Amino acid sequence: MNLNQFISYIAQGTIYTVGVTLIALPAGLLIGTILALLYVYGGKVTGRLMNLYSTIFRGIPPLVLLFILFFAVSKGINLSAFWAGSLSLGIVSSAYQMEIVRGALLAVSGDQMKAARAIGLSRLQAIRYVVLPQAVRLAIPPWSNEVAIVIKDSSLVYALGVPEILRRAQLIAASSQQYLLAYLSAALIYFLLVFLTTRLLNRLENKLAIPANP
Amino acid sequence: MPKPILTIKNLRKSYGDHVIFEHLDLDVNEGETIVIIGPSGTGKSTLLRCINLLTRPNEGQIWLDDTEITSKNCNEDLVRQHIGMVFQNFLLFNHLTALGNVKLGLTRVKKMSDQAATEKALRELERVGLADKAGHYPGQLSGGQQQRVGIARALAMDPRIMLFDEPTSALDPELIGEVLEVMRKLAKDGMTMLVVTHEMGFAREVADRIVFMEKGYIVEEGSPNEMFNHPKFPRTREFLWKITELYGKKKEDAA
Amino acid sequence: MKKHFLLVVVIVLITSMLFACGTKTEEPASILDKIQTNKKVVVGTSADYPPYEFVDEAGNKTGFDIELMAEIAKRMGVELEWVDMPFDSLVAAVSSGKLDMSISCFNYDEERDKTVDFSEAYYTTEDAFVVNKTFTGTITVPEDIVAYKVGVQSGTVQDGWLTDNLIANGLLPEANLSRYERVDQAALDLANGRIDILMADLVPIQAYVAQNPDLQVVYKGELSTGPINIVLPDGDTTLKAEIDRIIKELQAEGFIDALAVKYFSN
Repeated sequence: MNLNQFISYIAQGTIYTVGVTLIALPAGLLIGTILALLYVYGGKVTGRLMNLYSTIFRGIPPLVLLFILFFAVSKGINLSAFWAGSLSLGIVSSAYQMEIVRGALLAVSGDQMKAARAIGLSRLQAIRYVVLPQAVRLAIPPWSNEVAIVIKDSSLVYALGVPEILRRAQLIAASSQQYLLAYLSAALIYFLLVFLTTRLLNRLENKLAIPANP
Repeated sequence: MPKPILTIKNLRKSYGDHVIFEHLDLDVNEGETIVIIGPSGTGKSTLLRCINLLTRPNEGQIWLDDTEITSKNCNEDLVRQHIGMVFQNFLLFNHLTALGNVKLGLTRVKKMSDQAATEKALRELERVGLADKAGHYPGQLSGGQQQRVGIARALAMDPRIMLFDEPTSALDPELIGEVLEVMRKLAKDGMTMLVVTHEMGFAREVADRIVFMEKGYIVEEGSPNEMFNHPKFPRTREFLWKITELYGKKKEDAA
Repeated sequence: MKKHFLLVVVIVLITSMLFACGTKTEEPASILDKIQTNKKVVVGTSADYPPYEFVDEAGNKTGFDIELMAEIAKRMGVELEWVDMPFDSLVAAVSSGKLDMSISCFNYDEERDKTVDFSEAYYTTEDAFVVNKTFTGTITVPEDIVAYKVGVQSGTVQDGWLTDNLIANGLLPEANLSRYERVDQAALDLANGRIDILMADLVPIQAYVAQNPDLQVVYKGELSTGPINIVLPDGDTTLKAEIDRIIKELQAEGFIDALAVKYFSN
């Protein structure tokens, strides 16, 4: 087996890595943002519930949730390994993304909310037109961190047999005995994915930056 | 007797056991500029926040024209449209340009078309002398300019009354003048204004009435002449003497 | 290889108990019925364990277990669908019904037996110590070999056994173990006196010794692997009977020994 074949075999797993990430990340963002809004603006009881959600899912290792969803829950609904993996990672990520968005909302809120209400905007309008646009900008740096984590955590679906980068590296390492080369190749691919994505988000952050904002 | 725009009756605000003010009565007449003075922690700013319902009073009533805005079924968003508020720390929307700051209420609250809102917002910026800064973000403006945009943002909603909460206390001394100048012009144009400030020069020159508040009570109110030259209470005299000394000095330092 | 095993089992047990209350309607018929209705058997393996199961250069699964299972499926008259999964997840996947069965060089294990069943052993990996006929020492227990220079094929289960049981605890100095890429290279060094003892899989090495009168087997035993079985769903006696029947058939025909020679002899 030549080096080209070797690396290309592992690289074919990228589609699963990217696939899992592209499901888990937006799902986590959507759920996380909604929950963060409820947390910050939803009153005490809702706030506690959201806090509970966050505590539970940040407290469970993604791999454990993955096993629960795949081996136990999906007995009833027939969830494939790919979907079980993507959804578990999405759920865990939603708890972290909720905290990111919540932090950003709180950092903007308060005074900006007061000023918005003072000109007659309703609470919802104030959130939509004043708080969120600024919170999004604040959230990008910590969010890009979370993106990197989800990309790397997507490797966990290997445990369910999804033939992503890590699993392919294991298989080819076993058959070729080239352990170092196999895992270095996998590491390189993960690194490139994370590097390029964070670069992209960096650019987005600069593009959205508010001029001369203190 | 001119008709009051704003009537405050027996107002009380407390946080837990801590009473900010109580038994507070005040009328503000159309076109009048009232300056509220007093030591800090007296409840002046809380009073302003109660008037535009950013804080709810515990007791008493406030009427805006013929509407009791403290009543339960009163739409507070609607009330706030008619009461302009200018904050000590400007509180401009940091992600919007000066124009965007002034326009937001017009498009989202008054539901004006984008073009109409832009035209009106530019007129308001013109009024505070900042038409040329329309495209600047808050971070690109000086404090004085930011506060003037804040005033334009409030004015754009065509309020019945403007509340100023220490509008110049966060400014460097050399930037205070431009803001006071805008306020002076507004008063002259007949805007009804309720101003909390330590600027005694402004109070003396522009106010129709000065209200001296201390420890949650209105100690004394009267025309600038009465207050500065013939105060009834020794407390008033003492405070005015101190504050003039303090702020007068500060201005000399700056000059 | 066992790191997550217990964790998985515990989770599966707990949550399946929880969900069993809600979803249990009637005891399902044998998985065999499902396999025959679908004309397809879903089999899990961890294709990282050559020569039992691994991927070839084209990325296809191959190996002793793989070829054996293909024959079993053929005799059941159904199509074979492979699911690759890390070894740790296989038992949980069978016990939760994600897989119909799993073949992945499984030894019988009491812990595993609580959640799944085992077929009859389809093969017993016996290990052999081979020496040159000029060898004068005696090997009565496996540990006796530590006094000599030992050779083994790199990456095999025998290599694993030597590493875990003799090297790791310092009984056999690392320098005294030579790892060869192929068994015949090791046998050649044995004949030439570069090593004293060769450890290898019994079935194929016997075939080799038969053609090389200089060499002889001095010890055989189930050291590295022992009997290996197919993992089946718990309590499904119908399916177990069918699989056991086919295994016996294949053993009687010599099919399995032929596979052993094919996969374990170089």
